[in-house]
Amino acid sequence: MKLSVVAGWVEFPLKQFVDDARVEIAVLMHPAGQVLGQYGFARSIDVMTACALASAIHASSSELGRQLEGKPFSALHYMGRDRQIFLGAIPAQGSVLLLLAVFDSESSLGIVQLFLEEFKARVAAAAPAVSSGQPPALAENFERDLNHNLAQLFGRA
Amino acid sequence: MHAPFSQLTESLIRHRGVLGAMVVGLDDGVMVHSTLQVGVNGNAFAALTASLYRKAQRSAGAAGFGATGFLELLAEQGRVCAVGGENLVLVVVCETRVNVGMLRVDLLRAVEQLS
Repeated sequence: MKLSVVAGWVEFPLKQFVDDARVEIAVLMHPAGQVLGQYGFARSIDVMTACALASAIHASSSELGRQLEGKPFSALHYMGRDRQIFLGAIPAQGSVLLLLAVFDSESSLGIVQLFLEEFKARVAAAAPAVSSGQPPALAENFERDLNHNLAQLFGRA
Repeated sequence: MHAPFSQLTESLIRHRGVLGAMVVGLDDGVMVHSTLQVGVNGNAFAALTASLYRKAQRSAGAAGFGATGFLELLAEQGRVCAVGGENLVLVVVCETRVNVGMLRVDLLRAVEQLS
């Protein structure tokens, strides 16, 4: 399975995480659902769907966290029969990114959490700073950027 | 109020050379309870040792050896010992100077309380 990234700085942290944590799927994205890098998906439509759902889940769970504890939940874990999903917030130079990881019995929640800490450190060190003058994620060019990123990942840019 | 496993881990850490004792979820590798000396990265030991124990179980199963009992990893500067219950694994991190025989007896005794 091939790792593909939109931004060069994503490659090393994401590859290390996939290798260390033995996850089947890993997607790094903006909270709005724009993909930055992915491992495990073969079709762009699947990445788009996963990002959209992960983004919605993150928004819901963040609000739930705010209601319950006054701050957003930083991670979400769902255990299915064969596979598990982990969705975590990754602080990155003045912004937050999302990491979606899917894993089976080859890995575990403990392993994913362990290597997530290393991933966070690598992302914090590698991610470019976000300037305060940047437009919001849901700007008029959101869809164009989304499609551009997907096309880059799957070699159609 | 004592946590359900505190007595168990506290008795294990009394062994000379033991740096930490943990009760860990076998499937998720998440620490349930621990008694650790300062500086021991419990979460890392918990996740990695549970993973190792699961793989040892699979290896023993594939070889037709039956259930996995006591697992010991001997490294240059320390040992990790683990023994599994039904859904939990008892992990002990220790220095090389530890009396492994005594520790093994206590671990096997302690694991009965996990089941």
